[in-house]
Amino acid sequence: MIQEGTAFSERVWGSDPILQGLHLVRAFGDGGALSRAVDDVSLEVHRGQFVLMMGPSGSGKSTLLAMLSGLLRPDEGRVVCMGEDIWSLNDKEREQFRLDHCGFVFQGYNLFPSLTAREQIELVARWGQGATSAEARDMADALLIRLNLIDKAHLRPPQLSGGEKQRVAIGRALVKAPDLLFADEPTSALDWAHGEEVVKMLRELAKDNGTTVVCVTHDHRLVPFADRLIDLEDGRLKRQSYGFHGVTDQIGHPMQEPGEIQPAIPAKPTLRFRATP
Amino acid sequence: MSYALTTLWHERQRYLTAILAVAFCALLGSVQFGLLLGLFSITSMPVDNSRADIWLGAPKVLGVDLGRPIRESQALARLASHPDIERVEGFLQGFSYWARKDGGQELCMVVGSRLEPGSMGRNTALERYPELAEALTEPGTVVFDESDKEKLGVQKAGDEAEVAGSRVRVVGFVKGAKGLAAPFVFCSLTTARPLLRCFPGQITYALGKVKKGASPEDVVASLRRQYAPAPPKADPLASKDMGALSIQTESQKEAAEENALGQDSQAELSIFTSAEFSRRTRVHWLTKTKGGFALGYAAVLGLMVGAVVTSQTLYSATAASIKEFAVLKAMGIPRWRVSLHVMTLAAWVGIIGIVVAIPAVFSLAAVAEMWGVQMKLEAWLLITVSVVTLFMAIGAGLFALRSLRGVEPALLLR
Ligand SMILES: Nc1ncnc2c1ncn2[C@@H]1O[C@H](COP(=O)(O)OP(=O)(O)O)[C@@H](O)[C@H]1O
Ligand SMILES: [Mg+2]
Repeated sequence: MIQEGTAFSERVWGSDPILQGLHLVRAFGDGGALSRAVDDVSLEVHRGQFVLMMGPSGSGKSTLLAMLSGLLRPDEGRVVCMGEDIWSLNDKEREQFRLDHCGFVFQGYNLFPSLTAREQIELVARWGQGATSAEARDMADALLIRLNLIDKAHLRPPQLSGGEKQRVAIGRALVKAPDLLFADEPTSALDWAHGEEVVKMLRELAKDNGTTVVCVTHDHRLVPFADRLIDLEDGRLKRQSYGFHGVTDQIGHPMQEPGEIQPAIPAKPTLRFRATP
Repeated sequence: MSYALTTLWHERQRYLTAILAVAFCALLGSVQFGLLLGLFSITSMPVDNSRADIWLGAPKVLGVDLGRPIRESQALARLASHPDIERVEGFLQGFSYWARKDGGQELCMVVGSRLEPGSMGRNTALERYPELAEALTEPGTVVFDESDKEKLGVQKAGDEAEVAGSRVRVVGFVKGAKGLAAPFVFCSLTTARPLLRCFPGQITYALGKVKKGASPEDVVASLRRQYAPAPPKADPLASKDMGALSIQTESQKEAAEENALGQDSQAELSIFTSAEFSRRTRVHWLTKTKGGFALGYAAVLGLMVGAVVTSQTLYSATAASIKEFAVLKAMGIPRWRVSLHVMTLAAWVGIIGIVVAIPAVFSLAAVAEMWGVQMKLEAWLLITVSVVTLFMAIGAGLFALRSLRGVEPALLLR
């Protein structure tokens, strides 16, 4: 089933996947109490997609995200990201890889309590990119404008609402213009109105930057924003499916609602794919 | 870095403990060593409070208070033989015993000098009391600091006592000339001789003043060359530099040993500039009494306490931001960058602590002054204490870096 999915998505998107997980396994505990949080999961994500990873609490979403993003070493399996087998790199190389390509947003906003919204973003530009203070300021302000937060640039986390804090965190994750953005329950601490605003901005900014997003959530209200859904249950892949956006954006056949994989969708790169031995 | 300063300001509640700990260290160090230097500067006071440029004394003299009798005529003639010497005069100083009326005995430091205005040996503490200087010309009269009254068992001017078996009359009291262990007792050269059991024609030092434009160092060097074929090496370092002190005494010790070989006693007479002799005296007492070590030990303890408090504060402050640092780590920002931030925080804690301490040190010095205790806060001392304290704060920062070991992006996932 996984092989079919792979072949299908390549036919749909016409490109090599930006991120691939291959037979990923991760167990916790020891001896008899050993339990597999993620159990033989393979999946792939294509450039520019907004992928939603869903499943009930404890189904292994965060564990899978951590392995895909180079934060948690899998017990078994491989992660190939932008052509790199990231778990065969050493720690330093992997850190450099994340610096070059990955942004993160977590459920807790994790902003420095004593820094202003602008400084939170500048910090990453300066420490991560080696930007000068003037460059960092420009980069931060550009993002704050797009996040509709420029009026609050001088405020510190205690003076910001939850939604605003998460938008700052999104700005911080995007200031490096990463190829991939990993988000773990970015809206779960917010009420729906604010959660919706946050996910809209996340999607919009990611699309504008060409950033691929892998977002973990258990909130079904995020489904309409997704190009692709990955459902987990008990550490296993239950199904992969589309949301509204990916299909309309990429091949111009609007879909009315999220649904199961439709193998009948026209396949532009099929020839190239088949031509490969 | 501005982020470190911003953090310090907005979490000042948290960092205040560390800043105060650093300030305490700097304060303790400055005050202790300032007091020590102030205390030991008393030993060289007769040199510092003189107008002489050059001191000629007994062979291998260790300090101004440890002089031995030398022949007046020969010493004065030798000093005067140099063409750049304008004038010379005798000076007497030494320990003696002061017999109180109640029968007790006290060590005292007799200082005998010429008394006319403008003489080299007259202590500047007598400057404000011209009538006392006048009165001292009468043989058998003495003055001393008013704070030593009780110690010497004297209530008022006119009281009498016995020094080394000779009767003396106290004609008055001065201020600012308190002795360390032995009160300074000022008198004329004539009065001083019996009190120090010197014969007429003996002095302990010959003082010299150089002509305008001549350098005392050059004169001393030339006199050393002339009278001692293996002279002590000239001290190349400025008088304010504490680091130079031990080097100087070492070299002079060697020189003194060289001098001891095959020289007749007259050739071995010691000769110093005032600055050299003052420092030689203080260093001798500082090292001889080990006072420096005792206070140094206390200062090191203070530093350790400060280091522990500072590192604990930095540690817990860093640990409180561990999730924020973990996000940065997830995004690939290298650990050294975050470590540098913590070290910058530590350095600023150090700098601010020192800045807080400085006015406190000077206030304490002023209070001590009011109590008649001198604190010598020389620039080199304050700079040394500041540098050591700053290093302590940075060391505490290094120690606090342990808290960054717990920075693991995996702890952000739930
Ligand atoms: N660090 C850990 N130590 C032990 N068990 C863990 C750890 N992290 C996750 N687990 C377990 O693995 C399973 C999946 O966890 P997780 O990936 O966080 O699920 P989700 O994010 O879908 O809620 C859960 O049963 C959880 O208890
Ligand atoms: Mg989770």
